[in-house]
Amino acid sequence: MAKTKNDENFLKFNFDVSAFRLLGRELITDRITALFELVKNSYDSNANTVTIEFININPISKESKIIISDDGFGMDYSDIKNRWMVIGTSSKRRERTTPEPYNRIVSGKKGVGRFAVDKLGAKLILKTKKKGTNKLFCLETDWVNYSKIEYSQMSLNFEESKDYFTDIKNRYWLEDGQIDSQGTSLEISGIEEEWSEKDIDRAYKELSKLISPNNDSKLYPFHINIKSEYEKYKDISIKPQIINFASLKFELSFDLKNNTQEILQFKNNQLNKVTVPIRDCGPLKTTIYYFDRLAKDKYKKHFNVEIDGIKIYRDGLITTPFAEYVDTQNEQKDILGLDKRRWSGFFDRLGTRDLLGYIEITDKSNPFIVESTNRQGFVDNKQFYQLKKFVIEQIQQIENFLKNQRNSSRETTKSGLSGASDNIKDLKSDISKIKNSSSPEVKEVLTNIEKNLSKLQGTVNKSINDFNKSEEEKKQIENLLFSLVSLQTFAAMFSHMAKHTIGHIITGAEYFNNNFPNPKLEDRFLKISKKIYSEMMKLRTGVDFMLKYAKSDSDFEEISMKGLIENLFNNIYEDILSKEKIQTELILDKDLILNYNRKAIEDIFDNLISNSIKALKHQTNKKIKCVGIVNKSDLTLTFSDNGSGIDEQDKYRIFDIFFTTTAEDGGAGMGLYMTKTRIETMGGEIEVIENEFKPSGASFKITLPFKK
Amino acid sequence: MEVTFVVIDDTISIKEHPLLYTLEDKYKNVEFFLKPEDGLNFITSHLELNMIVLLDIQFSANDIENGHSILKKISEKSELIPVILWSGINETEESFSDFINNNAFGFISKDATIQEAFVLIDKALTFLKTNLDNIIEDWIIQKPEDKDIPVFFTANGLSLSLNQILYEIRNQTYLGKSFSKKLNQLTIHLLLNKLEKLND
Repeated sequence: MAKTKNDENFLKFNFDVSAFRLLGRELITDRITALFELVKNSYDSNANTVTIEFININPISKESKIIISDDGFGMDYSDIKNRWMVIGTSSKRRERTTPEPYNRIVSGKKGVGRFAVDKLGAKLILKTKKKGTNKLFCLETDWVNYSKIEYSQMSLNFEESKDYFTDIKNRYWLEDGQIDSQGTSLEISGIEEEWSEKDIDRAYKELSKLISPNNDSKLYPFHINIKSEYEKYKDISIKPQIINFASLKFELSFDLKNNTQEILQFKNNQLNKVTVPIRDCGPLKTTIYYFDRLAKDKYKKHFNVEIDGIKIYRDGLITTPFAEYVDTQNEQKDILGLDKRRWSGFFDRLGTRDLLGYIEITDKSNPFIVESTNRQGFVDNKQFYQLKKFVIEQIQQIENFLKNQRNSSRETTKSGLSGASDNIKDLKSDISKIKNSSSPEVKEVLTNIEKNLSKLQGTVNKSINDFNKSEEEKKQIENLLFSLVSLQTFAAMFSHMAKHTIGHIITGAEYFNNNFPNPKLEDRFLKISKKIYSEMMKLRTGVDFMLKYAKSDSDFEEISMKGLIENLFNNIYEDILSKEKIQTELILDKDLILNYNRKAIEDIFDNLISNSIKALKHQTNKKIKCVGIVNKSDLTLTFSDNGSGIDEQDKYRIFDIFFTTTAEDGGAGMGLYMTKTRIETMGGEIEVIENEFKPSGASFKITLPFKK
Repeated sequence: MEVTFVVIDDTISIKEHPLLYTLEDKYKNVEFFLKPEDGLNFITSHLELNMIVLLDIQFSANDIENGHSILKKISEKSELIPVILWSGINETEESFSDFINNNAFGFISKDATIQEAFVLIDKALTFLKTNLDNIIEDWIIQKPEDKDIPVFFTANGLSLSLNQILYEIRNQTYLGKSFSKKLNQLTIHLLLNKLEKLND
């Protein structure tokens, strides 16, 4: 190749030492991230293919090199001078998409790719060419020079005059090339650390996450190749992460024309897809894989990687927060908040180690899902919150489905066990029938068999007992947890009330002590003593209510439904209801006395009332209304408020455990779930019906059966 | 020194709280406001008064303001008013960092005794008494003849008397703040150059 070297030609980088440190050291933290950034640069230059070639990289020698070359649109002198050598004026920041016809969304938003080179090796020869010229533009950079200056500038010695980054000369020259060819190659030498096969393996796995699994269906697919001296990675094209062995797979799509989004819904023991209107975050093409323990082991063994949660891809490429490489997967940030959910670990909840998946968004349809500038997450706006909520909701539906499956498998175990017990009984009676008519030898064997069968039956019976016991214990633990959560809410309310009450009483007594007698203050003494009395009464009611909480769960008593609801409205919640100016109305055609556990029934209305209070927060003319009709064998109650109401999209999942739309008000998503489970244990039903108050509000219909 | 207690609390029964009675017995002026906006209005339109504010934190959802936002607005208006948060809130659940940032004077729990509450109220009273504006006020009360003598001359030709300065300081204007700073500098200068002596 004929070279037209000209030593007179130099270019200087236009940035200072702090930018070099910040971008080079702090954003590009390791070699894999560096590769990531350089590959993204190729993607941004409309390349179809980028090849990473590792030459003599184990052991390290002077001949060690990494060459990253692509067939993108390349750079000319002006691009190099005004873009490559400058930071802060990243052309990538001005243009959101790459040139026609690819129109890819620019992925390397920070213009940090060139600093990634420094992480891979000390010396760089960049060769780049645009279509239509017959010259390659070549630039040589020795990062060692920059590191030296960096060191001297960071040391505390102000007097000496120093060189600046902008003074360092980078030689450039031109080489001949084919007029039709285009692309950029980065030849990196001065490599310090060797790349073992394991390192390349890691690079492969991480790079495979870069492109979406639907890459090849795209008009302009993007391919990454690796070449190295290792047999396995001699010349290999990186395939998108293959997902295999999953126990369950769910694919959710959308329909822009009809503005619908598919979501998962668990209902009547089945997990189905239903459609709802597309949310503000835009349509989400979603694929979720669930792995049970067996599947997880298989996956890990086969791919030698961990299952690592759900990731977001934009226009076919992974979004930055998910692309940051971390050395150990435990340090991976939980960007979607899957592991942060309240009560994580209880009630069979799924986390990032059980799920794999990808959410595909596009710049056009999801313009508000934007990576934050520090690359660690997404801009925390309403749309991203909705996306997170969407993901968690889908997982909750899967959790419900799995829980149901487990329950029915328990039922199968139980019936299997009692079936076995019956079989043994049958066997025994069969044996005793033939025993008497058999020979002494056979008789002896049969007696032995009978003995063993009896033992076996004992074991089976014990198993049935144990099984029932453990079921019972499980239920008790769940009940305990529910009452704890409800107790927690109550305790907070109670202590707030008690603080005020005690304050009044204590200072009232103190005032008497300080000032009595004093004829001038007679009027005050009177007011204070009245106040002390009424505050004491309030405290007494609160304590009584608290005591009921402390009562054991299994006590049944005669309960007047009317009295119970009235007590909640007029005493327990009186404070907060009057403070929030909420009017209450209770209409029961006749009173009904139920023989039941008081706390369970109180829980039902307790949760409905506090739910309504939250929903009424921003309304005017607030109302809660409860109407009951006593039928022959059931009580039908309608419980309504004119609060903010229930979103259409939430209607069928508001009874789900941990589903909450009031997290900021301390909602844990337990209230309505508890209401529903309490009602169901009584053999009743609760459902959302059309709201009684218009235009806004919510109405629940509750049916409680009873025996006369 | 005359002081006005401004109590902002959305619970009507607080109006008859023995702590308020005690304050009234001792200091006469207690203003009670149910609506946070009304309390804030009173404060901003009476900056010439010596005020101590007792402020609830949680207000009903109908109120746009709450303890956090009222404190912020008072502290934006004047740094001379001690604002004491008086609340039944669970201290471990409330976020307190903005209270610190906005110079809340302290916190009294709703179940505190009068005696306990007065530990902080007395501190607030001392704070007021030692403030520059109150020292000027005391001076004027003792020597009314000094009231209108110009003592502060600005670069653009204004001259201000003690009485005018008092107004500027209490309203926390640029002039008021600038005078306070320069007066302190002057005092240090006088002391260092042995032109004045301070004795206790």
